[in-house]
Amino acid sequence: MITMYVPTSAPERTIGDVLLKVDDISLSFGGVKALSNVSFDIRQGEIRAIIGPNGAGKSSMLNCINGFYHPQQGTITYKGVVRRQMRPHEAAAQGIARTFQNIALFKGMSTLDNIMTGRLLKMKQNFFLQALHWGPAQKEEIEHREFVERIIDFLEIQSIRKVPVGRLPYGLQKRVELGRALAAEPTLLLLDEPMAGMNVEEKEDMCRFILDVNEEFGTTIALIEHDMGVVMDISDRVVVLDYGRKIADGTPDEVRNDQRVIDAYLGVQH
Amino acid sequence: MIYRETGQFKISYAADQAIFPIRQDLIGMLLILAVAFIGIPLLATDYFYLAILIPFLILSLAAIGLNLLTGYCGQLSLGTGAFMSVGAYAAYNLAIRVPDLNLLVIFLMAGGIAALVGVVFGLPSLRIKGFYLAVATLAAQFFIDWVFLRIKWFTNYTPSGSVSAPALDIFGYVFATPRQHYLFVLVIVVIMALVAKNLVRGRIGRAWMAVRDMDIAAEIIGIPLLRTKLLAFAVSSFYAGIAGALWAFVYLGSWEPYAFGIDRSFQILFMIIIGGLGSILGCFLGAFFISIVPILLNQVPAALGVPISTATASHLEYMIFGALIIFFLIVEPHGFARLWQIGKEKLRLWPFPH
Amino acid sequence: MLSVFAQIYEQPGFFVEVVLGGLMAGVLYALVALGFVLIFKASGVFNFAQGAMVLFAALSLVRLMEVMPFWAAFLASCAIMVALAFAIERLVLRPLVNQEGIVLFMATLGIAFFLDGFGQTIWGSEVYTLELGVPKDPVFILESVFEGGVLVNQLDIFAAVVAGALVVVLALFFQKTKIGLALRAVADDHQAAQSIGVPLNYIWLIVWSVAGIVALVAGMVWGAKLGVQFSLALVALKALPVLILGGFTSVPGAIVGGLIIGVGEKIAEVYFGSQIGGGIENWFAYVLALVFLLFRPQGLFGEKIIERV
Repeated sequence: MITMYVPTSAPERTIGDVLLKVDDISLSFGGVKALSNVSFDIRQGEIRAIIGPNGAGKSSMLNCINGFYHPQQGTITYKGVVRRQMRPHEAAAQGIARTFQNIALFKGMSTLDNIMTGRLLKMKQNFFLQALHWGPAQKEEIEHREFVERIIDFLEIQSIRKVPVGRLPYGLQKRVELGRALAAEPTLLLLDEPMAGMNVEEKEDMCRFILDVNEEFGTTIALIEHDMGVVMDISDRVVVLDYGRKIADGTPDEVRNDQRVIDAYLGVQH
Repeated sequence: MIYRETGQFKISYAADQAIFPIRQDLIGMLLILAVAFIGIPLLATDYFYLAILIPFLILSLAAIGLNLLTGYCGQLSLGTGAFMSVGAYAAYNLAIRVPDLNLLVIFLMAGGIAALVGVVFGLPSLRIKGFYLAVATLAAQFFIDWVFLRIKWFTNYTPSGSVSAPALDIFGYVFATPRQHYLFVLVIVVIMALVAKNLVRGRIGRAWMAVRDMDIAAEIIGIPLLRTKLLAFAVSSFYAGIAGALWAFVYLGSWEPYAFGIDRSFQILFMIIIGGLGSILGCFLGAFFISIVPILLNQVPAALGVPISTATASHLEYMIFGALIIFFLIVEPHGFARLWQIGKEKLRLWPFPH
Repeated sequence: MLSVFAQIYEQPGFFVEVVLGGLMAGVLYALVALGFVLIFKASGVFNFAQGAMVLFAALSLVRLMEVMPFWAAFLASCAIMVALAFAIERLVLRPLVNQEGIVLFMATLGIAFFLDGFGQTIWGSEVYTLELGVPKDPVFILESVFEGGVLVNQLDIFAAVVAGALVVVLALFFQKTKIGLALRAVADDHQAAQSIGVPLNYIWLIVWSVAGIVALVAGMVWGAKLGVQFSLALVALKALPVLILGGFTSVPGAIVGGLIIGVGEKIAEVYFGSQIGGGIENWFAYVLALVFLLFRPQGLFGEKIIERV
């Protein structure tokens, strides 16, 4: 049986234990240090922002978390299990989903099919039933279709259900990509600049979706964003990176008043 | 006015996910099947079966196999001919070495053996991509050509290297006439085309297309790349293997390794590009076009009363064929299947284009 | 296996002969691979017609030499290859600009078919001997080092010299001229190059012309060795493993890859081929290249790719 997103009255948001902890992570590409000795944690149910100037190592951090890059040093503890590295599809199997800075949708497929790919891990029927498209395989297909239709409703993209995503405008593509990540019912959702290149209206919509996902389904979210207004508004805690190092960590108010953060953003002679 | 979906409301997801969600399409397909199963057997001559219909159907099947791999999963292969030959020789060896094995079982096993070989040659796809992989599949082509040419066990030590297939005997019924051959091939092709369609519209097809469109993203959302690609190689080679076995047993009767050389691989590749990558219908359109053009090129000058030498004719054929391919790529790089789709879109709106 | 090493130990002169023969063949593979690399670098097109271009160029040269001296025929053939490049750019590449790689690849297959037919229609389809005035008799060298000396073909030495000269000229062309700079810019990033005003069509014309002339030289050397005939078009297939070994975009890769393939193939053929039935030269190069790739997926000279998302 598939759990469903049932819109209920918003439950009390509770910030739980540590869900993911990165400890002393260092990553370099042939001599270029992308991350040096970064440590922070993400708690169950919170919205955690990662900010910093361009090239600070934010995307590399997300890539380490979901196993796409393998840090040379340090450990990542997820759901209490310590690991050095894993393959991206294993991370996905353990409930980590993400979106990308430069949209990574499957351009030749429709919106519906793109979001359906997010359900692939949950589909179990074997090859031969698939080949016949019969019985359990067909039933499974329809169950997942129902689930995906709920996401389509939630993101208000019913009208573009069958349009190939390559033809969609940028803002909608970002939304479809969020839909694909949501379809996996993630425990931890990583969003890489979900609002980059959007106008104010689109940003408001996206903020609403992120908050709704967090509040209604209790999904833990880690996001990278450059729009400080948005970051300060929606996140519970913020970690600041600069030149691959962590320079601040705390609530939006604490970070806002941190001298090193101000220096990093305004530029100070080092 | 005739082609409208107005009034056809879908009240279940099952109906929306059907192969032909629009009723007119379904009716059209049933008509085509009726013609293929009833109309043609009533009317066609032996020449028509042997020169056009049987090769067209078998090559369509091989094209479906290649399209699953290249059009859906994005792995360019230049080794289709080799996988066909694996199917052909596997069927031949099973037939002569395992007496009393049912021919259908032989064909299935031949497909299975071709699938295994396909998986082996698909292994490099984990590390190399695109044209590098295409060149790697050429390795399969040349290596397998060599195996059947030089290792005499596979050809049962016949002095010339040419082998002959046994009669098409299934449960005591012998398919002997061209018409029987045609129906035999038709049934297999229709079933396998349907299976292919089912695969590509479900979970497996989506995983393939995800790998094709962006393999990094596919891996990150949880699709295991190697397993998905190898499955595509396996299914594709299975189709090619069955097509090869049919080509050898039903169409050729007796054959040499050259029947499945690199030219065959290119021919099938032409079919899916001209027909349309990522379209099952396109396989049939492409196969029809590619198999009919040489026949026309041979017949037309003679019919016009312009006698030309065989050598010139074959050179002209090369030229015209090359030029046609370029022409079609320029007119519609996505093949006949896309033209058909655009035509249908137009028809839906006709006669009120706005 | 052991007997092979014993054989090498006992007859070092013969082994050197085999290696030299392999190097010579490798130079010729490298020549064909070079044409591929030039076009792939500048336009991202996997040009399957390179082999057909070799055949076409060689046919033009050999038939023109029947009516004019060598140098005139060579220049005329150059002009023909430039005209061909012009036609390809106009009729094929320009209408297909911005299409996916596979579509362009298919178009070059179309070109290959067309050229094979066209060349044989206008120039004829027999086997023509190409006489370059280079003696073909083998000579013995290094007689003081090895007992009995080492047998090499003078034509092969000529081929190696020609290929070496061609590579030097190309390297100068790419590194020292303004067009070369523009070519490298286009190779790096089409759109960026276009945005700073590099005329793409013109660059393509240049690069296909250069590839055409490289094909002419390859055709000339191969043709002198084997005779000008249809099988020259198939030489292109031998150049493909060179490409996966050396990398599609590396000129040094094409040369070193060609040499490795040439030598490896020769050694395998001479020492192992007979044990497994002969005729292995059709696939051995491919398998060699594939094994190489398992350890170095980016090829010999390719840079390690850092994937980004």
